[in-house]
Amino acid sequence: MSEKMKVTYYPGCSSEATGRHLDESIRAVMPEVGVEMADIEDWNCCGASVGHIGGGPLPTLALNGRNLANAKKQGNEHVMTPCAACYLNTHGSNLTIRDDEAKREKVNEALKAGGMEAYEGDLKVHHAMEVLVNFVGMEKIAERATNKLKGLKVAGWVGCQTVRPFAETDDGGNYDTYEEPEFLDDITRACGAEAVPYEKKTNCCGGSVAVMKPEKTLHLMKLLLEEAEKAGADVISTPCPLCQTNLEMYQDAINAKYGTNFHIPVVFPSQLMAVAFGMDPQKDAALQRNTIRAEKLEKLAKK
Amino acid sequence: MTAAIPATSRTYDLSFARWVRENVKGGDKMNLCMQCGVCSGSCPIGSEMDNGPRKTFMMVRAGMKDEVLSSTTLWNCTSCYRCYVRCPRGIPVTSIIQGLAAVAAKEGYADKEKVSNYYFSKAFWWSARSFGKTDERLVTMKYFFSFGLVEGIKRALANLKIALGMVKAGRMHIGMPHSIRNKSQLKAIIAKAAELESKG
Amino acid sequence: MADETKIGIYLCEGCGIAEAIDMDELEQTVSSEYQVSTCKRHAAFCSEEGVAVIEKDVKDGEANRVVVAACSHRVMTDRFNFDGAATVRANLREQIAWTQAPQDEDTNMFAADNVRMALAQARNTDNPEGHENVVKSEKLLVVGGGVAGLTAALEAARAGTEVTVVEKTGQLGGWTRKWSRLIPSRPPYRGLIANNTEELIKAVEDNGKIKVVTNAIVARTEGMPGDFTVTIDHGGSEETDTFGAIVVATGWRMPDDMTPYEKYGLGKVDGVMSGVDFEEVLAAGVEKDGKKLNTIAIVIPCESEQMPYTSGVADRIAIKQAIQVMDTNPDAMVYVLHDNLRAHGQAEELYREAQDKGVVFMKAMVKSAAAGPELTTDDLLLGQEVRLSGLDAVVVMTGMMPNSTNPDLPKAEKGNEFLCDDVNPRVPITVNGEDAGDGDAARAAPSDADDEGAGVAPADCDPENPPLPGGALLNLQYRQGPHIPILYNGFIDSHYICFPYETRRTGIYVCGAVRKPMTAHEADNDATGAALKGIQAINLVKESRATHPRTGDLSYPIFGLDICTKCRRCTVECPFGAIDENEEGYPQLNPSRCRRCGTCMGACPVRTISFKNYSPNMVSEMIEAVEQPDPFDEKPRIMVFACENDAYPALDMAGVNRREINKYMRFIPVRCLGSVTLVWVSNALEKGFDGVMLMGCKSGDDYQCHFVKGSAIAQERIGKVEETLKNLMLEPERVTIEEVSIADSKRVVDLLGKFGDQIEEIGLNPFKGF
Repeated sequence: MSEKMKVTYYPGCSSEATGRHLDESIRAVMPEVGVEMADIEDWNCCGASVGHIGGGPLPTLALNGRNLANAKKQGNEHVMTPCAACYLNTHGSNLTIRDDEAKREKVNEALKAGGMEAYEGDLKVHHAMEVLVNFVGMEKIAERATNKLKGLKVAGWVGCQTVRPFAETDDGGNYDTYEEPEFLDDITRACGAEAVPYEKKTNCCGGSVAVMKPEKTLHLMKLLLEEAEKAGADVISTPCPLCQTNLEMYQDAINAKYGTNFHIPVVFPSQLMAVAFGMDPQKDAALQRNTIRAEKLEKLAKK
Repeated sequence: MTAAIPATSRTYDLSFARWVRENVKGGDKMNLCMQCGVCSGSCPIGSEMDNGPRKTFMMVRAGMKDEVLSSTTLWNCTSCYRCYVRCPRGIPVTSIIQGLAAVAAKEGYADKEKVSNYYFSKAFWWSARSFGKTDERLVTMKYFFSFGLVEGIKRALANLKIALGMVKAGRMHIGMPHSIRNKSQLKAIIAKAAELESKG
Repeated sequence: MADETKIGIYLCEGCGIAEAIDMDELEQTVSSEYQVSTCKRHAAFCSEEGVAVIEKDVKDGEANRVVVAACSHRVMTDRFNFDGAATVRANLREQIAWTQAPQDEDTNMFAADNVRMALAQARNTDNPEGHENVVKSEKLLVVGGGVAGLTAALEAARAGTEVTVVEKTGQLGGWTRKWSRLIPSRPPYRGLIANNTEELIKAVEDNGKIKVVTNAIVARTEGMPGDFTVTIDHGGSEETDTFGAIVVATGWRMPDDMTPYEKYGLGKVDGVMSGVDFEEVLAAGVEKDGKKLNTIAIVIPCESEQMPYTSGVADRIAIKQAIQVMDTNPDAMVYVLHDNLRAHGQAEELYREAQDKGVVFMKAMVKSAAAGPELTTDDLLLGQEVRLSGLDAVVVMTGMMPNSTNPDLPKAEKGNEFLCDDVNPRVPITVNGEDAGDGDAARAAPSDADDEGAGVAPADCDPENPPLPGGALLNLQYRQGPHIPILYNGFIDSHYICFPYETRRTGIYVCGAVRKPMTAHEADNDATGAALKGIQAINLVKESRATHPRTGDLSYPIFGLDICTKCRRCTVECPFGAIDENEEGYPQLNPSRCRRCGTCMGACPVRTISFKNYSPNMVSEMIEAVEQPDPFDEKPRIMVFACENDAYPALDMAGVNRREINKYMRFIPVRCLGSVTLVWVSNALEKGFDGVMLMGCKSGDDYQCHFVKGSAIAQERIGKVEETLKNLMLEPERVTIEEVSIADSKRVVDLLGKFGDQIEEIGLNPFKGF
């Protein structure tokens, strides 16, 4: 890769609320490894995993069309998002607009109604993790990680949409596999921490069903926590904002329901990186935003 | 959606299957299903589904429109895409399930008791449409209160502790919802898209 | 033998042999124990130089028997092949150097015994010369004028052979001629193809080398490969001709008994038709009586319901017919009902095409059919009962019954037991209605082999296993009756993988749906193979050589009639019906029918049947040649008779893979377990062997025996050994028989190890040392 990569950044709605620490840490670490970011102008919601039900498939496509058309105007061919759902929708919509002529025409008609220019689907949408794997590379992360996270045991939990369904496809950058992705452990190791074996790497936490009907999915999260505890992990690392929030905020409910005593911090790989890069634990790593504080990680942070 | 959804009177009337094939995203691949069951076996939340994807596909083929559209299967998909990537026939299972859910919502099959997902989707879309962004706080509240005032307060209180934790960590703000700047533009785009979709 | 026997022995030191075996000691053993003409050593006898050494000795008259003690007799056969000197091989490499501890006392004993056995073999062998030439005709007879028969005729004619096709009806082309579209035979295996049977018929009719006789059947067949005298009944007038080989391609018919299909409404409910009848509807543009058929259920009878003669062909035809309906009318609704859809190989593409076109495959069992027609089914995927109503047609995929007999002819007078399912590996052998063995009456029924002897209930009287109806296709004038034997389900027996066209009657090859259910395209491929087998047989027989599986062998059984007791065991047990009886009741060989397996030799109670290079005496002397250690040395010896077809190669492979073989084993390769006479077993035990193992191919309905019945016959014979052992006051566990496959290189070693342990546990043979 060239030394610098320019991307148009789509933070997604969670960046302003439950996923603020993801947004803040991504913004902190990406420039450190040569990724320059500029936000999509006046970006809007992607529709997440239920938009097409509430609004219908075409309006959801139009939402994403608006973001992409705005990104296109900014003149950069790469769009990057750190959120799994945003990636799925933005990337999927981009492919639909690119490949399905009939839908492209309809989306452009809708964009025209908003006074926008047509979009042909010629941008490339990346997940932030794919950028780290394919464009930055682990060597560069390891090189920049001057404050190695010695002794920290990390369970790498990728979750589902970060690698599904696009990670293994050429369009999705072909950056890892669906079932046993390795990039997250690679990042952990590049930061100098220990990646403990974690079989349930791509297990689902329940996603949006966990938000609306947690009782249906607590058992799924319990499995994830058990596995991490068994592996002796100090923290669980996950790239997905919804995964992070779900697994963190429902630990009390799980403990109440199953009589367990889980208290495992869940952090983003970008938070690990920020600490390993020796950056500010609050401003850059946003560790204060974890409701279950990652104390061991905080101790490793440069004061 | 192009054609009107057909009314079927007998089992194994293929008109519903053919309608799905033409009108649901990924439906054209559904014919290739060989009923192996990898999808249902891979589903993390299959225990919450009455039929699961495999049987749902067979029911579509069998013309069981009402049973398919009122099934809990459509509303419990977590969108983890495991079935999608594992299908040996390359059928976009998740997309079809989501597509059928959209059909069920549109056709009035969504039942308050069974399909909380539907109300969540409505609340979610309300936020996206009104503000251009998802305000998780408002979505959740609107969702809770979609079950009625009493149930809404009950659910809100149950989640109070979580909410307070989030506020403290700066992950839930108090005050005006986040919003995009050009709301009128977004509204015009969505209105046009909705119009195009209904026209087919 | 005209000349004095002069044995030259050549001890090879290559491929690790000299590293594992003390060659000086071995040479010492040879020269001290045997009177050999010459004994030489070389670093690699298979080299140009090494071969030249042996060639020179043979040329100079130093040796007229060559013993090469080197690698297995299965390799380097072209190198160690000397004009004017029979060659015998002692296996030092695969069996010893590669499987035994180097320079060990037992390894050297093993090597010495293998050389001793080879020397004993050399003294009792000679190069075979072949029987007299029997070939009177090189023409091919093809019975059946369907797609298989026509293709066989055309392919043979193109290869330069003259062919006569005999067709029972007045029209060539068989069933296939009736189909409007066929399953694709080429990539991408999608899209139905046109039927080219009319062109095939024309090509046959226009071919100057092919003579077609329609409205004709074969009335009788005499003789043997190279000399089949065939009488063709042509509408009452008979005509006789001579052929070198025969291809049977009589195809299939609808099952004689259609009542099981009544369950689906076939023959009972209007609108229900067979797949065969539906072809007419398809040819008419999916129209029947001027009405378009739009909603069609195609029923593939469930395997579990045991419908007669249904097979995977039904599944593929169902898919084909469904596609044909959709091609004609894309709005049609076609349901294919099955319980296990069998669309193997390229048919998967066809299945996908049908799915693409919107055909619905239901995993459903039909419970009943009613007027409409309508079907009540148990839908296994929905888990509920489903009624299919408003159907325009129900199509039932009926089975294909093989024409292994001619149903229009009366049942033959004898030999009908060859038309019964023949899957029991321990088939008792009867002669004159009595058990040919030691009189154990419990094993006598039901009998396998019929005999014209009086007072015997017909062999086909077993009500559980009735013979196929109808008369003989070729009406063979063989001692064993007029039929081509079946294995089971009425299909002519031919090994489904290894030798698909070989019937149990040499020179008679089978192809098409009479051998196994198949589609037109498969029959076409099949016919080509059978035609080539026919041509190959004629050419081999011309040189007095054996056909499959001892292809090219010149040896043949010689009967010493001076001591023959006319017991007829050889004629009954020959798996290929090669031996008839002459007027005096003595065995009479039809040499070109013989496959040289030696089953007759193994059967002969007085051991008067032998080959020039394989005889009861030769093996007995090999057994005797093995040195029995002093009983106090506690070194058992176990004799293994290993079939050359699969067991011996598996043993060689064990050597190639460097698996350690039990050091107390001694191996003698045999042509087939059928050739093993029980005398060898008792010889071995009397000479002090502590155990005997017979190692051969699998018997039964999935047999691997290269001579079809040899392994089964050995099973039966060994069942009788128990008595003998008891008489000798020996434990029955000392003799065993094992079935192995050629891929069992690990398993054979385990089996030998286990048997060795078992023998050590029983203890040494008390006869040892006497």
